[in-house]
Amino acid sequence: MLARTGLAWLVMMQVMMLAFPGYMRPVERSAEAQQTLEQAIVLMNWSSLVLCVPLMTYCAWPLWQGAWRDLARRRVGMDVPVALGLLAAFIPSVIATWRQTGEVYFDSVSMFVAFLMGARYLELCARQAAGSRSAGGLEGHLLALADRWALRFVCVQLVLAAGVGLWWWSVQPDQAVAVTVALLVMSCPCALSMSVPAALAARRTLSLRHDRSSALDAQRLDAAMRRVARQNLFGSLAWHVLVTPLAAMGWVQPWLAALTMLMSSLAVAVNAWRLTRIQGPSGLGLVGSTG
Amino acid sequence: MDGLFLLLPISLLLVLGIGVAFWWAVFSGQFDEAGEAAQAILDDDDS
Repeated sequence: MLARTGLAWLVMMQVMMLAFPGYMRPVERSAEAQQTLEQAIVLMNWSSLVLCVPLMTYCAWPLWQGAWRDLARRRVGMDVPVALGLLAAFIPSVIATWRQTGEVYFDSVSMFVAFLMGARYLELCARQAAGSRSAGGLEGHLLALADRWALRFVCVQLVLAAGVGLWWWSVQPDQAVAVTVALLVMSCPCALSMSVPAALAARRTLSLRHDRSSALDAQRLDAAMRRVARQNLFGSLAWHVLVTPLAAMGWVQPWLAALTMLMSSLAVAVNAWRLTRIQGPSGLGLVGSTG
Repeated sequence: MDGLFLLLPISLLLVLGIGVAFWWAVFSGQFDEAGEAAQAILDDDDS
């Protein structure tokens, strides 16, 4: 997991560097310079393609596996929109590279895989830290709540992405791919699925640190944990709802969508980490008043 | 422009080298128990 994540980040940095000439395309320049730039872009695109093949196969392997497992069981999990988004961005890019015309989204693909694997790695750490306690009644309830919301969210987003993509296709076909990819990237509920395990891990760290604390403290800790978990859950949900219309209107490029996804995941992690900074009863009161 | 034909393959080779080195490091256990070495100094008992 660490190897896949690290390699994805390495490839992402390279591909972003190689994608830079593509961003320079709209700037005004002399005809000769423009021709040199176009040649350079073709070369860079091929290099990006070479870098993206191991990324799509090795680094993104858990995503393909998860999507296939979900499809085999005839249900929609998180990995299905992710896999669709990756394919929707990667295949047109390969065709564009082959024909040497059109936009490529290798930078978006590599960023998406890298951020997603980063978020998954954080989630794995959180789940491992939460450990066996996740079998408890309260934790189980919270986890089920998060999973249910994530599932609903994914279904709505998939339908929305298909509808909006078709609309853009009928109005402005050259924009349709970018908008659909951005929406599919946005539909990944990484932050949602991370919200509860992160809070549980924080709670666990705290109870290990104050293992001799009284039952009252434990109750207050539980209350604080529940509050943070709910904050995370509904905060990330609200964030997605806020950004989705912008993506549907075509204001969000795919790489920007990947970046916002990472930001929401990080916000969830930071919010949970805030819980571990509680030192004593006074700290608990503080969190209660601000949360 | 000609320089790119030399520089791009070199950069790809470098990336490959870094990737292989990182992969080896992960699977030879370099990142397991990252806090171990720091703790070992405190646990050391050579009084």
